[in-house]
Amino acid sequence: MYSFYKNRRWFFALSALLMAVGILTAVFAGVEMDITFRGGSILKYDFAGTIDLEQADDAIGKAIGKTVTCQIVTSLGDQATSLVVNVAGNEALLPENMTQLETALAATFPSQTFKLQSANLVDPFIGRELLTKGVWAIVIASILIVAYVWFSFRSMSGPSAGVMALVALFHDVILVFFVFVVLRIPLNESLVAVVLSILGFSINDTIVVYDRIRENERIHNGKMPLPDLVDLSINQSLTRSINTSLCTLGAVAVAYIFATAYNIDSIKQFALPMMIGLVSGTYSTICLAGPLWVMWKTRGGRTGY
Amino acid sequence: MTFFIVAGIILLGLLLTLTGAKLPVPGQQELLQLYSMREIRFGIDIRGGVEAVFQARDYEGVPSSADLDSARSVIELRMDNLQILDREVTVDKTNGRILVRFPWKSDETDFNPEQALKELGEMARLTFRDPDGNVVLEGNDVARSFAAINQETGEPIVELELSATGAAKFTEATGKLVGKIISIYMDDTVISEPMVKTQITGDSAYIDGMADVQEAVALAEKINAGALPFALQAISSSSISPTMGQDALRVMLQAGLIAFLAICLFMLLYYRLPGFVACFALLGQITGILLAISIPQQTLTLQGIAGIILSIGMGVDANVIISERIKEELRSGCSLQTALSNGFTRAFSSVLDGNVTVAIAAVILMIFGSGSMLSFGYSLLVGVILNGLTGVTASRLMIGSLSQFKKLQNPWLYGRKGVGQNV
Repeated sequence: MYSFYKNRRWFFALSALLMAVGILTAVFAGVEMDITFRGGSILKYDFAGTIDLEQADDAIGKAIGKTVTCQIVTSLGDQATSLVVNVAGNEALLPENMTQLETALAATFPSQTFKLQSANLVDPFIGRELLTKGVWAIVIASILIVAYVWFSFRSMSGPSAGVMALVALFHDVILVFFVFVVLRIPLNESLVAVVLSILGFSINDTIVVYDRIRENERIHNGKMPLPDLVDLSINQSLTRSINTSLCTLGAVAVAYIFATAYNIDSIKQFALPMMIGLVSGTYSTICLAGPLWVMWKTRGGRTGY
Repeated sequence: MTFFIVAGIILLGLLLTLTGAKLPVPGQQELLQLYSMREIRFGIDIRGGVEAVFQARDYEGVPSSADLDSARSVIELRMDNLQILDREVTVDKTNGRILVRFPWKSDETDFNPEQALKELGEMARLTFRDPDGNVVLEGNDVARSFAAINQETGEPIVELELSATGAAKFTEATGKLVGKIISIYMDDTVISEPMVKTQITGDSAYIDGMADVQEAVALAEKINAGALPFALQAISSSSISPTMGQDALRVMLQAGLIAFLAICLFMLLYYRLPGFVACFALLGQITGILLAISIPQQTLTLQGIAGIILSIGMGVDANVIISERIKEELRSGCSLQTALSNGFTRAFSSVLDGNVTVAIAAVILMIFGSGSMLSFGYSLLVGVILNGLTGVTASRLMIGSLSQFKKLQNPWLYGRKGVGQNV
């Protein structure tokens, strides 16, 4: 039986190291945000014919050094096509940026002529109100989750168990956020999707192990020291933890492989952080939540019961 | 026997997901359309949609940023109610414009953006006027309106909830106008002419005299629509191309199918008979979620897909926990029937706790969230409920039924090493 409790310092060190890498990257390289969170400019260029959107994305992004997504719109009346360029940034594009952008477009698609039709400086798609509501939702959900764990696991004196479950949860959410930062994926809708999923996955994972601890407490009735009891419970549910993660991870990995093969960026940007989050969710349950809870319960020489 | 009934129901669900159906509803002419998974309303990135730019109509100068934000909220709320959860709504405060992008309806045929915009409802300005034509209350003074039934008379009515400033204005106006008519205008069209019976002092009021429930619902919707701070007009509307390309959907469906088959293969090889049953349970869960999205024609968002993946992960988890538990019980030397019943009972508490906590998070996201968060919360909640139904109940019924067959009582089938020791 592997003792996760005795080796806890290695796990804490590993998590701290990963967090440090994330923080350093965020401080020194900055956090890239998409128009979804940051607002920016929406420019519309009229043109005739067809162009490759991926190429347009890359060319404009490189030329002006900002996060860019392109779309094509068609107006019904005259069937005229326009290229919509969404540029992230808090201020209106400078005239020299506009020139760079137009030069890049002309260089990439020499056979087309682009004529600026309209330019709008817009608020983030996920505005302050939506973001505030989202944060409130997460705060209230966290409180309710602790309350539920408190009630349901009152035999293992719930509040500390609930709080440690949340520590593991925030560990995973922050780690996923850092994955976006380190891999230089601009923060966009897929961050919301991944963070929400990992939230659910992480809490479920922790609770299954807690359930085993609760059951073993009943069976051993206070005769086994708490660190051993927690190690026993983690080991008993280890096959389950690994099998579940493998299945979920496998499913997301298939999506990632397909997205890579067919070059679908939006799915790649969703699947990769998701895979890392899934691993982190299982890891934080086994290596962090259980041992942390034992440390708290046995602090200052208490038995923990 | 039970196994075949449960499996039959799941396969029927699968068939419905693949083909869709039209059912007659008693007392109504129109057939109830149950949409298949192919008729799911896919997001802008997959199927393209409409882009429109709105501007305040008959308005001097640029509206204040607070008014623009409130107009934006009204439009977002409307889209939430219409289940258009995959959309982008944003404002350009310098030019006073509101930009809206949303996906086509699943059964869209003529792809006319101007026509599609009508789905969002009236963009007119709502006013309440006294008999002399003076405006006593404006659209954004009404916080919410909805159709209800008067508890005393049983008639359909329209309830109005007023904002704080709205309530003050309305108290003053209704005080002066007892016995007179207040007309409700949508731009310059009268939509209702209720009489003031007594002074209204609270923050709620109601309008009676509706012919039927339909009329009450229609009026409530119009009043809600008019909560805009100013009338809006679309200064441009165009159709927008899918950003992912037409291939993306087919590719992702293939990926999903392969992932599902891989999970089934793993479950079957690792857990044998309980794994076989788990495949049916998962199939039931997936078809259930897809139907729950396609039938109300909710737009499928990336977050919605994430919710589906998470709840399927939890479905796998439930089956893994149960199968592991049965194996453990068998190892400790129980008879097969005891092992099955203990396995389910002991696994149940952890499956229940896990699902309830996740369901709490899903419900909170649905209450607070809008757009993509609402979409995630919805698919997760449906998934978790189905998980309880298929992952626990249906699995139990199916295994219980299969284990009645003599040939299926070999403990090897339930993951025990060695043969025939604990029957």
